[in-house]
Amino acid sequence: MNWLPRRIVVVPIDFSEASFAALETAVEMVADPSHLRVVHVLPDLEPAEPGVIWHTIDDTGREEHAAKALQAELAKRGYEGLATHVCIGDPGHEIVNYAEQLDAGLVVVPSKGKSALQRLLLGSVADRIVRLAHCPVLVLKHH
Amino acid sequence: MPKHNRFTTWYLVALLLSLTIALGGVLVAQEATPNSASQANEEQPSSVEAEAEGSLPLPAAAAPAVADEPDWMEQVDGYFGAHIVGPLYQVLFFDFWSNRWIPAGTPEEVTCPDPDCGHTHKVADLYPSSKAPIVIPCPDCGEEICTGAQVPLVVLWLFLGAIFFTLRMGFINVRGFWHAIRVTKGDYDKPGEEGEVSHFQALASALSATVGLGNIAGVAIAISLGGPGAVFWLIVAGLLGMSTKFSECTLGQLYRKVDPDGTVSGGPMRYLRDGLAEIGLKPLGVVLATIFAIVCMGGSFGGGNVFQVGQSLEMLRSQVEFLDTYPWVYGLILVVLVGVVIIGGIRRIASTAEKIVPTMCGLYVLASLYILAVNYHQIVPAFGKILSGAMSPSAMYGGFIGVMIMGIRRAAFSNEAGLGSASIAHAAAKTDEPVSEGIVALLEPFIDTVVVCTMTGLVIVVTGVYDKGLHPECAEFITDGKGAPLTAAAFSTAISWFPWILTIAVCLFAYSTLISWSYYGERCWSHLFGHKTAIVYKILFLAFVFLGSIVKAQNIIDFSDLMILSMAFPNILGVALLSGKIRRALDDYWSRLKSGEIKTAAEMEKGIES
Repeated sequence: MNWLPRRIVVVPIDFSEASFAALETAVEMVADPSHLRVVHVLPDLEPAEPGVIWHTIDDTGREEHAAKALQAELAKRGYEGLATHVCIGDPGHEIVNYAEQLDAGLVVVPSKGKSALQRLLLGSVADRIVRLAHCPVLVLKHH
Repeated sequence: MPKHNRFTTWYLVALLLSLTIALGGVLVAQEATPNSASQANEEQPSSVEAEAEGSLPLPAAAAPAVADEPDWMEQVDGYFGAHIVGPLYQVLFFDFWSNRWIPAGTPEEVTCPDPDCGHTHKVADLYPSSKAPIVIPCPDCGEEICTGAQVPLVVLWLFLGAIFFTLRMGFINVRGFWHAIRVTKGDYDKPGEEGEVSHFQALASALSATVGLGNIAGVAIAISLGGPGAVFWLIVAGLLGMSTKFSECTLGQLYRKVDPDGTVSGGPMRYLRDGLAEIGLKPLGVVLATIFAIVCMGGSFGGGNVFQVGQSLEMLRSQVEFLDTYPWVYGLILVVLVGVVIIGGIRRIASTAEKIVPTMCGLYVLASLYILAVNYHQIVPAFGKILSGAMSPSAMYGGFIGVMIMGIRRAAFSNEAGLGSASIAHAAAKTDEPVSEGIVALLEPFIDTVVVCTMTGLVIVVTGVYDKGLHPECAEFITDGKGAPLTAAAFSTAISWFPWILTIAVCLFAYSTLISWSYYGERCWSHLFGHKTAIVYKILFLAFVFLGSIVKAQNIIDFSDLMILSMAFPNILGVALLSGKIRRALDDYWSRLKSGEIKTAAEMEKGIES
C-alpha cells in the first residue's frame, strides 16, 4: 500500500533506534524508496570547542563527515542508495525548511520519551516540527 | 543573513536578561533593611575568613567609605556573602572540628568569634605562665575560641587522592615525563586518528583554562596567608597532581564519544556514568555524573569566572583610576566581550585569545627569571625561607598544617588536578591511544604549578612583598586578599613599568580562562538539560561575569574555592574506583611502547622504506 504516490517523504535521523524505526515505517509508506529523503541535523559548534579554537574542524568538514557516517549506518541497516541531506542548526527549523524546499508530502518523526523538565524547557523536536511544518507530519508513538 | 540576525537578537536579549538578573540581586539586597544589609556586609567576610584561616587573626574587613549608607554594590556583596558563600562554606569546607584538636601553634592574639562580643585578647596576657590550650575560652563572654588547624575535608581528599594515584600508577609522573614531551611534540602522531586537535593543541587548550589568575593571584594569596613555606607545598602538590591529571585524562579519552560529524565529547560526566556502569555501579555512576555536572557548572561560575574577573579587576584598579570608582564598567565590558563569543558566535576573538596563552606563559616565566636574576643574591636565602617555612613555620601562618593546607589548596585551585575539568579538553585530542593523551596531560600540572606558580612564588619571596614589615605599602593587598596587585608590586620592585605589562597579561589570561570555562560549563549543562537550552546557561554565565566585578575579593575567593574544589568529590571517587582499568590500560600501553610495538612516526617511515 502506498498513500503518497510521487510525493517526497522526509525522515529525520538522529542515529537513535527510534529514528531508524521511523525510517522503517516511512519505507513501507512510499511507492519507491527514491521518494525518501533522510535528513540529519548537526548542532551549531561551540565557539570555545578545542577544534574551533585551532581551526581543525569546520562546518563543511563536519557535514561531509556526517554524510559519510549516515550513508555507512544506512548501508549497515540495509537501506542502500537512499538520498541523504546534512545541515546545521536547530533541528526543528532545519527539518521544516528542508521539507518546504522539497515541497514534501509528509514528515515522519518519532516522539521520544523526554523528562518533564526537558519538555517544559524546550519541548521536543517533534512538537516543533508539528507546529512549524507546512505539510502533514506523522508522529510515531514510542513503544 | 537571517542566521546572523538571529544571533544578534539572542545576544541583545541575553545582555538585557543578564543585567536584569544582576539588578535583581541589588533589589533583593535592598529589600533587607539597610541596617542588616550593612551588618551582613561587615560580619560575613570576617566570619568566613576566620573559618578559612582558623588561627589567623585577620583584621576586620575595611569599613566602607560612607559607613551609614552602603551603596548598591556593597549591598549585592553583603547579600552574596551572607546568603551564598556563608552557608555553602559550612557544608563543603566542613573540617570535622579539626580546629579543636589539631595544634597549629599559638597565635599572639585571638578574637572572639561571637559577633556580639568580638573582643580581641593577647594570648600572652591570658596565659602568662602556662602554655595556651587549643580552645581558649573568651574571658568576656565565655565563647570558645578555636586556634587549631583547619583541615577542610576537600583539601585532604585532593591530597590523599594525588598520593593514591601516584602510587597506583607506579610514579607515572616521573617515568612518563620524557615520553610526554615526545608525544606532545608529535613524534608518535599517525594519520587518520580520530579526534579534533593535535596533542599539543589539546594541551594548550587545557592550559588556557588552568593558567590564569590562579598562578598569579592565587600564589600571592597563598604566600601572604601561609608564608614562604606555602611554595614548598604548592610544588609537592603540583608534582603529585600530575598523576591525578594523568588518570582523569586517560579516562576522558577512554570513554569519549565521537559524534557522526567527527566532533568529540568526553569528560567526567561521561566516564563517571559509563565507566562506573561497566564495573556494575550504574546508579552510583549516574549520581556522581549528575553531581559533577552541577558542581562543574558552579565551578565555571566561581573559579573559572568571578575569581578571574575579580582578581583581574583588582589589578586594573591599581592602574586605572576610573575603574576604581566604577568597577562595574569593567564587568560590563567583559560581559560584552565574552557575550559576543559565546552567544554571538564570533569565533576569531576567542581563538586568538587562547592561542596567545602559551606565549604569554613563556613571557611571564622570562620576566620572572629577570626579577630573580636582578635579585640573585636573594635566591639562596629564599629557598632557605621556603624550606624552613614549610617544615617549621611560625604560628602566625597557622603552623605546619596551616601552611600545608594553604599550599595544597592553591595548587589544586591553580592546576585543577583532581577536579576533572581538563579531561573535557583532552578528550578532543586526535589519538587511538587513550593512555598517550593522559601522559600528555601530566605535563599540565608541571607547567602550571611546578614552573609558573613556582616562578610567581620565588618572585614574591625574593622581593619580600609578602612581609608587611618590609613592605608596608602592600599590607592592604595582603589583608584584603588581593593577590594580583601583590604580585604586581613584587615585579615593580625591579621594573617600574612592569605592572602595566602584567595587567595586560592578567586580563588576557582572565579572558581566555573565562572562554574555556564557559565551554566546560556548557558541556555540563548540555549533559543535564540538552544542547538546545544552553543559552540559559550562557546568560547565567554572563550574569556571574558582571557579579564578579562588584563583589568583594574575599567573598569571591571563598566562593570560587568552594565551587571549584568541590568538583573533586565526585571526580576523585569515580576515578579511584576506575583506577584498576586505567592501570591495565597503562601497563598494556607501556609494554607495547617498551617492546617497540608502538613506533614513532620517523620509525614507521624507515620501516616502509626498508
